[in-house]
Amino acid sequence: MRRKWNRWTFTLAPLYVFTLLFVVGPLLYMVAISFASNKEGYGVIWRFTAENYKKIFDPVYLETFRQSLKLAFTSALSIMLLGYPFGYFMARLNSRWKNRLMLLLLIPFWVNSLIRLYGWIIILQTKGALNGVLLNLGLIEEPLKMLYSYPAVLLGMIYTLLPFMILSVYSSAEKMDWSLVEAARDLGANEIQAFCSVTFKMTLPGLLSGMILTFIPSMGLFFIADILGGNKIVLVGSLIQDQMTRGSNWPFAAALAVALTILTTLIIYLYRRITHVSELEGLY
Amino acid sequence: MEMRRKWMGITLTVCLAASCLLSGCGGKEKGELEDSRELVLYTWDSMFPQEVLDSFEEETGIQVIYSNFDTDETMLEKLAQADGGDYDLVIADDYIIESVIEEGLAQKLDKSKIKNFENINPLYQGQFYDENDEYTVPYGAGIPLIVYDPEAVDFEIKGYEDLWNENLKDSVALTANYRVINGITLLSMGKSMNEEDASVIEEAGEKLKALAPNVRMIQDDNTQNALLNGEASVAFLYTSQVTKVLSENPDLKVVYPEEGLGFGIMAGFVPSNAPDADAAHQFLDYILQPETGAKCFDEIGYYSTNAKSDEFLENSDLAVPDSVSKGEIIQNVSEEADAAYNKNWTEFRAACD
Repeated sequence: MRRKWNRWTFTLAPLYVFTLLFVVGPLLYMVAISFASNKEGYGVIWRFTAENYKKIFDPVYLETFRQSLKLAFTSALSIMLLGYPFGYFMARLNSRWKNRLMLLLLIPFWVNSLIRLYGWIIILQTKGALNGVLLNLGLIEEPLKMLYSYPAVLLGMIYTLLPFMILSVYSSAEKMDWSLVEAARDLGANEIQAFCSVTFKMTLPGLLSGMILTFIPSMGLFFIADILGGNKIVLVGSLIQDQMTRGSNWPFAAALAVALTILTTLIIYLYRRITHVSELEGLY
Repeated sequence: MEMRRKWMGITLTVCLAASCLLSGCGGKEKGELEDSRELVLYTWDSMFPQEVLDSFEEETGIQVIYSNFDTDETMLEKLAQADGGDYDLVIADDYIIESVIEEGLAQKLDKSKIKNFENINPLYQGQFYDENDEYTVPYGAGIPLIVYDPEAVDFEIKGYEDLWNENLKDSVALTANYRVINGITLLSMGKSMNEEDASVIEEAGEKLKALAPNVRMIQDDNTQNALLNGEASVAFLYTSQVTKVLSENPDLKVVYPEEGLGFGIMAGFVPSNAPDADAAHQFLDYILQPETGAKCFDEIGYYSTNAKSDEFLENSDLAVPDSVSKGEIIQNVSEEADAAYNKNWTEFRAACD
């Protein structure tokens, strides 16, 4: 594609400057720090070392990456299973219901996500709402310990990220040409065949961008693991935060962040190679 | 395409240069107005009763600007970036003050301006971070203690070792300081909280991992709530949390662990390039008055470090008990030891899942 420069091009300049100063600049700074040496107490010494990257391969820290990936995959998959049908059926509603559902989806975003997570604590805690209901219904004898566990963290991830999946699938299904499905049916495909060969393929870009929009944040949303997991599940995100603050080892934190960036880029690349989708809904 | 590549090159170079420039310069400069003096106080949230701050402003005409940090490390980072400027008075923990003084970010106090200096309880003076009491005024001391609900625990807890008891499965709430938790593990082994020997630290790491099945949660803020809302039956809490939880539920039992106590002292110091060091001295002198000090300690719920304040305390538990003299303070350790403590901590948390 040929780039055309015209008199409007300069209006984009602020955007470029912003991106360079606040995205590319810090990123390069981070890469630079990741090769520096740690100064005892605070700060960095500008002496080249690859030690920080070697340290990542220590089993303790590899385990953190494994746990983060596991959580990210589990939550992205669960979100897909819940969000795909939701987005798909939402696109098939009439416009009045579409708007109502859209509003319901967006209302929670008006409240800060931390506050919403604290709401989950009230529901899940031992003397909380859910246990109260279950006890009163006689379904359980003793209150369940639901909070500060892996499922609680997973629930928090799903709750926080589900709208991203629904909205991307929705926008993909919404603009789909339904006459293609009719054509498939006319040509003798049954409902399932028509769905698999037409609808699914047409909505795949939405599904994929939904996967990416949920997978990547779930690698980094450590505050969910802190709040609902009682700090017991160490994700790469919380390890980075720990090393930046309490551990006060900036170079190691930077190296972890670079590794995480490379890892997520790699995963996005793999997604696209496997599914052969070049266009991601809303992302490009 | 060619054009684009060229532009890429140029822009990348520019941004690299820009980021180098930006990282090099820190903000400074502060126009001081003669008639409206300000005291920039930098400490944790809610460290002073509003009443005390207000009456100080009234008496001296110096306006207190209260600035917060979450962790000592953040404070050190900010202070170093400001080259010991921006803030007039900082109140932080003992171990970090050692780093602050070592890095030359604190200035010696002019004791002639602090006539109430003699009120300080000598128990908290001459500590490792300021052996000659040249830089700091202690402001509250803490001893993390074990608190438990005797109704939910079927044996008597006497020390740290009891936290490992298999009857406490998934029932223990812990504070989240890696050195403190490593420290009590070492104390339970009869070692020092400031152990430097790598093999001993590794041994402590193994022992700590064995605690994992009993851990319900690890959290620094409002850890005491876990005892109140039934999430945990035993908690290892900071002093302010102990005070809070006892006021909510006096039936809870407090344990002074038999293996020894760890304690921490918070202290105020004046940064090396404080814009208005005089105001900081005035404030230190002000809070060292016996009755004002008592109001502060009652508010923050830490042990009084002011001997003359003790009799004015509303909560008499905050006057120093004799056992405090036995406490050990967590100090900075070598980089290797610190890395080992960090590793223990990460391994421990991963094992808790």
